Amino acid sequence: MTNRHRVALAFSFLVAIAAALVPLRVDAERSDRAKQLGRKLMCMCGCGQILIECNHIDCPYSVPMLKKLDQLVVANEADDLILQDYVQQYGEKVLSAPPTKGFNSIAWYIPGASFVLGLAIVGFVIRLWSKRHTEEFVPAPGAPGDGAASSSARPDSRLERARQQADQETED
Amino acid sequence: MDLFGSYALLLAFLCMLYAVGGGIAAIITRRPLLIKSARNAGFAVCALVWLGFGSLLYLFLTDDFSMAYVSAHSNRNLATFYKIPAVWSGQEGSLLFWSFLLSIYVFSVLFTYRGKHPELMPYVGVVTASVQGFFLILNNFIASPFQIFAAPGAGGVMHLATQADGRGLNPLLQYPEMSIHPPMLYSGYTGFTIPFAFALAALLGRYPGEKWIHLTRRWTMIAWCFQSIGILLGAHWAYAVLGWGGYWGWDPVENASLMPWLTGTAFLHSVMMQEKRGMMRVWNVWLVFSTFFLCILGTSLTRSGAVNSVHAFAESKIGHWFWSFLVICIVVCLVAYLKNRDYLRSDNQLDSMLSRESSFLFNNLILLVACVAVLSGTLFPVLSEAVRGSKISVGPPFFNLVNVPIGLFLLFLTGVGPLLAWRKTSTESMRRNFGWPLVGGAVGAVLAVAFGLRNPYVTICVLLSGFVTLTVLSEFYRGSRVISARTGSNLFSSAAQLTMRNTRRYGGYVVHFGMVLIFIGLCGTPFNKDRQMEMNPGSVMALGPYTLHLQNFDTDQQPNYSSERATIDVDRGGKSLMMLYPQRRFYPSNEESGTMVAISSTLKEDLYVVYAGRSPDTNMPVIHAYLNPLVKWIWLGGVVVVFGTILALLPNRQAVLVVRPVAETSPAVQGQQTVPATYTARSQLPTSHD
Repeated sequence: MTNRHRVALAFSFLVAIAAALVPLRVDAERSDRAKQLGRKLMCMCGCGQILIECNHIDCPYSVPMLKKLDQLVVANEADDLILQDYVQQYGEKVLSAPPTKGFNSIAWYIPGASFVLGLAIVGFVIRLWSKRHTEEFVPAPGAPGDGAASSSARPDSRLERARQQADQETED
Repeated sequence: MDLFGSYALLLAFLCMLYAVGGGIAAIITRRPLLIKSARNAGFAVCALVWLGFGSLLYLFLTDDFSMAYVSAHSNRNLATFYKIPAVWSGQEGSLLFWSFLLSIYVFSVLFTYRGKHPELMPYVGVVTASVQGFFLILNNFIASPFQIFAAPGAGGVMHLATQADGRGLNPLLQYPEMSIHPPMLYSGYTGFTIPFAFALAALLGRYPGEKWIHLTRRWTMIAWCFQSIGILLGAHWAYAVLGWGGYWGWDPVENASLMPWLTGTAFLHSVMMQEKRGMMRVWNVWLVFSTFFLCILGTSLTRSGAVNSVHAFAESKIGHWFWSFLVICIVVCLVAYLKNRDYLRSDNQLDSMLSRESSFLFNNLILLVACVAVLSGTLFPVLSEAVRGSKISVGPPFFNLVNVPIGLFLLFLTGVGPLLAWRKTSTESMRRNFGWPLVGGAVGAVLAVAFGLRNPYVTICVLLSGFVTLTVLSEFYRGSRVISARTGSNLFSSAAQLTMRNTRRYGGYVVHFGMVLIFIGLCGTPFNKDRQMEMNPGSVMALGPYTLHLQNFDTDQQPNYSSERATIDVDRGGKSLMMLYPQRRFYPSNEESGTMVAISSTLKEDLYVVYAGRSPDTNMPVIHAYLNPLVKWIWLGGVVVVFGTILALLPNRQAVLVVRPVAETSPAVQGQQTVPATYTARSQLPTSHD
C-alpha cells in the first residue's frame, strides 16, 4: 500500500466518522465555506451548472453531493482533501475549472499565450508599418527630394498634406 | 400540407443546384441572360424555402400529429402563441428555420442589388446559394421535419398513423422570450453569411477597391445587432426561467453565440481602417471568414453533442455534416486567398503609435484573445478527452478568471479609441481629451469604494466606466457646442443634429455607452447574496435588508400545466413593500417541471425568489431567494446598445447651409441687395473621426 492510498484511506475513515457524528438532515442553509467549495465543483447530472447553482430539486447528483459537502465542512476537513475526495469519487470532471497541474494546465496557458503572441504580432506590425511610413516620408541622403530646396518633400509639409487628406477621408 | 412542404424543399434544392451551376456558368461566360437566370433561381430558392417553412408552421397550428416532428414538440393544449416557437424547438425545425431566415437575407441582397455590380453579384449569388444548399441538404435528406408516422397494415402496406396528441413543448421553452430569442440569435448567425459571401465574392472576382466593404457594412451591422439582441435575450431567459439566479453560465452554447459576436465586433472596428485608409485588407477578409466559420462551429457544437450543454439538441450524427461543411468552407477560403492574395495587398502605414489606427489594432487583439479564450475553454474538454481519455470540466470559474481582465482592457480601449485622431495624436491633445474623463472615473471609483463596493475588479470597472462615459459625453458636448454656436439652437437639439449628421460615429458612441451600462451591471456579481430555506406558511427569511414572509401556497390548473404557487410578502424595515408569487409548474404531457421565478427589479438590485420545490427529506417547500445587485443595468445597457446600432444604421442627414444675416452692409455693396455674409457649410462644422 502506497502512502497515497494510506492518506486516502485515513481520509475516508475521517469522513465516515464525521458523517456519523453530524445530524443526517443538514439544514438547508449553507455555510459560506461550503458555498465557496461548491463553486469549485460541478453538478454531475449533466446540467452543466456548478454544484452550488444546480437548482434541480430531487437532482440525483447535486442533492447527495451537497449533503456530503455540508457534512465535510461541518467536520472541518481541509479544502484540498474535500476536493480530492470528490475527484476520487467522480473523476476530474467534477472540478469546475481545469487542474493547474499536468496536461490540463494547458487550458490556463492558452489565453495568456495567445495574448502574448498577439501582442508580439501587433508590436511587430506597428513597427513595420511605422518604418514604412518613415521610409516614405524621409528621403534618402542625396535623393532628389533631399535638401532645403524641395520643400514639398519635407516631412512636415507632407504630413500636413496627409492630415488634410485624412480629414477629407473621415469627414462623412 | 406535409407533402407540399416536402416538395417545396425538394424543389428549392433543385433550384439551388441551378443557381450554383448557372451562376458559375454566368461568371465564366459573362452572358447577361445567364446572370439573370441564375439570380432568378436564387429568388426561387428563397420563395420555396418560405413555402416549406410556412407548411411546417401550418402543420403545428393545425395540430397535425401524423407528423413525427409536430408530435414530438407540440400538443393540443399548448397555447397557440407557443405553437410558433415550437416549430424551431427541435433539431429538424430549427434547421429549416435557419434556412428560412437565411433565405430572407439572400432574397433581400439579390433584390437590393439586382442589376447592380455585375462583376460581383454573380459570385455573391453562387456563394449564398451554396450555403443555402448545405442547409437544404440537411432539410431534405438528413433531418427532414416532414417525416410522418406510419404503421404496417394488411399485406405489409404502410398506412398513415396519426397520434392522438403530441408530447408537448419543453417547459423551459414555454416562456414569451423564447419566441423572440432564437429568431434573433439565428438572424445573427445567418446574417453573417452576407458579409462572408461578399468577402469571398470580392476575393474570387478580384473586385476592385473597398466597395464590397461599403456594400456589406450595413448587413454586418444588422447581423451584429440581431446577434447582440439574441445573446441578451438568451441571458434574460436564463435569468428569468432557469431559476439559478444567474444570467450567464459560460455554457458551450452560450459561448458559441459569443464567439462570432466577438469577431464580428472586431470586424466592425477594423473595417474602418480599410474604409478610411485602405489598410488591413487581408485581416478584414479573414475576420469576416472567421466570423462565419464560428457561426457554423457554434451551430455544430449545439447539434453534434460534442460538448455537454443544457441547451444542446440531442446527440446526433448531424455534427459530421457541419464539420465537413466547415472544412470545405475553410479550404475554399484558403484556396481563394492563396490564389488572389495579390489583390488584397495594401499599403499599410502607421504615422504614430498614438493614433486611432493603433487603438483599433489593440481593440482587435483584445477581442480576438477573448474569442480564443472562450473557444479554447469550450473545446478543451474535447481535447483533454482525446489526449488523456477522460473529460474535464471547464466551467464559470475558469471563464470568469480569464475573461474579466480581458473585458476590462476592452472597456479601457472603448474610452481611449474615440479620443485618438486618425494618423497621429499629439500629447497636448491627449492631455486635453483624457484629463477630465480620467479624473471623473477616479472620483467614481473612490465613491464606489466609499459605498462599500470593495473588490479590485469592481473598482477598476467603475473607474473605466466613468472614464468611457465622460469621453462619450465630451464627444457629444464638443460637437454640439460648435453646432449650437453656429445655429443658435440649444445643446440638446444640437446634439440631435450632430448625431443625425454622422449616425455611424455617434450611434457607435451610444453603443459604447450601452456597453458601459452592461459592465456596470456585471459589477454587481461579486456582491450577490442568496439564501435557501425550507419554509412553511408563517416562516420568515431575512435576506439583506428584506424580510420574506411566506403566507401560503395555492394551486392552479391550466389546460397545459398545473402549478403550485407561493405567496410571499416582502417587507423592508417593517414596512410591507410588495407581494411575490414564485411558481412551480408541472407539465403532464412531457412529465417535466419548470419554475416561474418572481423578480422584483430596481436599478439598485433584484430580489429574485424561486420556489424550488419540496425537500426530498422533509417534503417541506424550499424557497431560494437571491439578492442580485445592479442586474437591471445589463438589460438597460442592452436596450441602449440596440438603440445605438439602429441609430448607426440610419443614413446620414445632409448638412443644411445655415445663413446668418449680415449685421452691417459693406460700403462696397451699399444700395445693392443684401447678400448673406456667412454660410456655415458642413466642412466648417465638427469633422468626424470615426
